[in-house]
Amino acid sequence: MNTMHWICRSCLSRAIRPLFKLRVRWQTTASATESVPPALLARARAVADEHKQLAEKLANGFDTRAAKKLGGYGAIVSALEEWDKANESLAELTSLIHDPTSDPELRELAADDLGATRTSLAKASQNLTTSLVPIHPFAHLPCLMEIRPGAGGSEAAIFAGDLVRMYQAYCNRHNYRSTLLKYENINGTSEAGVPLSEAVLEVNSASAYGVFRCEAGVHRVQRVPATESKGRTHTSAASVLVLPSLEENTSLENDFEDPESDYYIDVNEVKVEVMRAKGAGGQHVNTTDSAVRLTHIPTNTVVSMQDSRSQPKNKEKAWQLLRSRLAQARREKREEEMVALRRSVLGVAKTGRGDKVRTYNWGQQRVTDHRSGATVHDLDDVMDGGQTLDTVMEGVRRWLMEKDVEALIAEEASKK
Amino acid sequence: MPRLAIALLRHAYTIDPLLPLLLRPCRTLAAAQNELRWLREHVDKLVQARRPVNRKLQQQPKALLRRLAVERASGKPLQYILGTEFFGELELRCQPGVLIPRPETAASVTHLSHLIQNAPALPSELRVLDLCTGTGCIPLLFDHDFSSARSDRRLQLLGVDISDKAIGLAHRNLARVRRWKASAGRGDVDFILADVLSNPFGDQTLDPPCLKAALNFNKKPYFWDIVIANPPYISPSAYWSTTTRSVRGFEPKLALVPPPRPGNNDTEQADYFYPRLLTAARDAEAKIVLLEVADLDQAMRVATMARRIAIFDGIEIWRDQPDQRNESAVGISAEFPVRGQGNARSVLCWRGLGATWLGRGRATKTSRTTRA
Ligand SMILES: C[S@@+](CC[C@H](N)C(=O)[O-])C[C@H]1O[C@@H](n2cnc3c(N)ncnc32)[C@H](O)[C@@H]1O
Repeated sequence: MNTMHWICRSCLSRAIRPLFKLRVRWQTTASATESVPPALLARARAVADEHKQLAEKLANGFDTRAAKKLGGYGAIVSALEEWDKANESLAELTSLIHDPTSDPELRELAADDLGATRTSLAKASQNLTTSLVPIHPFAHLPCLMEIRPGAGGSEAAIFAGDLVRMYQAYCNRHNYRSTLLKYENINGTSEAGVPLSEAVLEVNSASAYGVFRCEAGVHRVQRVPATESKGRTHTSAASVLVLPSLEENTSLENDFEDPESDYYIDVNEVKVEVMRAKGAGGQHVNTTDSAVRLTHIPTNTVVSMQDSRSQPKNKEKAWQLLRSRLAQARREKREEEMVALRRSVLGVAKTGRGDKVRTYNWGQQRVTDHRSGATVHDLDDVMDGGQTLDTVMEGVRRWLMEKDVEALIAEEASKK
Repeated sequence: MPRLAIALLRHAYTIDPLLPLLLRPCRTLAAAQNELRWLREHVDKLVQARRPVNRKLQQQPKALLRRLAVERASGKPLQYILGTEFFGELELRCQPGVLIPRPETAASVTHLSHLIQNAPALPSELRVLDLCTGTGCIPLLFDHDFSSARSDRRLQLLGVDISDKAIGLAHRNLARVRRWKASAGRGDVDFILADVLSNPFGDQTLDPPCLKAALNFNKKPYFWDIVIANPPYISPSAYWSTTTRSVRGFEPKLALVPPPRPGNNDTEQADYFYPRLLTAARDAEAKIVLLEVADLDQAMRVATMARRIAIFDGIEIWRDQPDQRNESAVGISAEFPVRGQGNARSVLCWRGLGATWLGRGRATKTSRTTRA
């Protein structure tokens, strides 16, 4: 910031606006990379302690179990050491700089060093974090995002369409391949501003589920609808459901055959209906109705597809969606028990379909995420899928990660 | 046909001014919206085509879309407007003068292929003859489905039709499918012109020749393992009462209604092809015969004809979706097993090794057995 002195006034005033916008981002990114969540740190220390004990045990005689556990801890322990070291040097440098008694030349040297030390601390923090956080079992998969209007009538439906375009733009910017598997506004087209009834966006890139799973939940909008003549602000909502996507050729394909898997469906339990089976059929009619409806009888889950002129293609997409929905339901059911346990221990909020996760406020041009607690002010950039959205999503992922770690710790505690 | 409610038309208009046009042939809003979307995609594709078919229209996509919607409103099938129809996993070319392939036909062909492709004792070469082939859809789909599962068996497939237009289109569809990268088909496919109704011992017109002469002339085998046919099967009365306006007004009657013969009543005319097809199948020593029909009544009549010639070991009736479990007891015939869901759609006969290929086990002669 020392170049500031040389900037003339008018330039300065021009620079101030973007600076103001950027401030939030800086803070979040800085904290996102430089610090480690307290819960994580606590766990890392606990691991390091156990590591030390195990090592002593091993020194007194060989124990296979201990040796194996020790191996698993190695990465965490060395990451923690790195982090401690980086932290120490940073503390040293800062105290040097702030100490009025220190030599000015030394101070300048320290200031020069500060940047590099910050960077290495950020790297150490990241390493430490990734070494600890349990990776979601589906994080590496592509995903399906189902977006539907919630409460709030056609305004909710318009907002749901806005969200679809926001995620599409985000995908474009990040070079994720995204396809609309289904987009139904009341118009049969994908024009903006036309109320949406349901959209399914497939993000067909590895790890998309890990990126987008934090988007699941109820997104709330506060603005004056285009249709509102009196200029009153309305509050409406749209829901986003994020499912890991399994295409036929993913590595989990075998799971389709495995009755133990979440993705297993007994084909005898699914009723397949093609809509044109009514009437005389055959040579008597030549309609173009290629719609396919699948009903999973035990759970009464219904999926229908009519986007393509090809019936097999509609059927394939419908199966893909049905598998994903059922798997999600099964996972959720299993996790609910886990979550109940975590809640009782910690009060961790679940990030499922029911909870209000984010508010988009047009009047104040702000977006607030209710989980990470972060607020950003460049609403337009968020809606355009820009960097501000990255910031928001990063914040949530970070929050989610902390919760995951807290839950992990709680779980371990409950086992003891 | 009931008139469309004014309220529905008005609602459709507010969504898109072109929708009321499409509501006429489509009847439901959802179907009309789908068709409008497909027409739009079609126009977009034309507009973006590198070699424009018609530059003037290309500059006016809105006008083009409107013109196509008006055409559709007159009842012209969407498949003729777009120029293609999906048949199983294939997208085939369609053109006026040749019947548009139907999804029920595709469902039976795919199901037949599924049954056979898992058979343990298939011969190294399998021969499939399709009588009344139209666009060539049946041999092309069988080739694709079967070859994607069993590349270790050679296939020879032949489609026969009386119509020049159909044979020309079938050849173009073969070329189209071969160009398509995802196509699995690799069989030896051909299409020839012949009249399957003409009697080799009767007065011969050589244009088009009878089946035997055509096989001979084209150096094709006499013997075929599988014979499939979706012949014209609609009676004159059903043509007026049951087919839709779009079928009557735009698809060739030659493909739908068998020719009249002196002394034949309505039903006899509808059934006119089946005795010839069964005879052709017998002459070809077919192990499996699959014949499409209009409904359960015709299915019963055809199954009875097949039983009468006393060469088959088993006969059963398939519905529109033969791969689905049969839930309803409605129309279950006491004489022939009925499989699948929907309307009765085809009659399957087999003999000799055909039983093993189909996984049906060897049934008692003429299959008078009923299902428990
Ligand atoms: C119902 S269409 C079936 C076409 C095609 N197999 C399909 O499933 O879409 C009947 C076909 O039989 C042909 N056809 C009519 N009379 C015939 C005859 N005497 N001999 C051979 N083919 C005939 C028609 O040209 C028409 O293509």
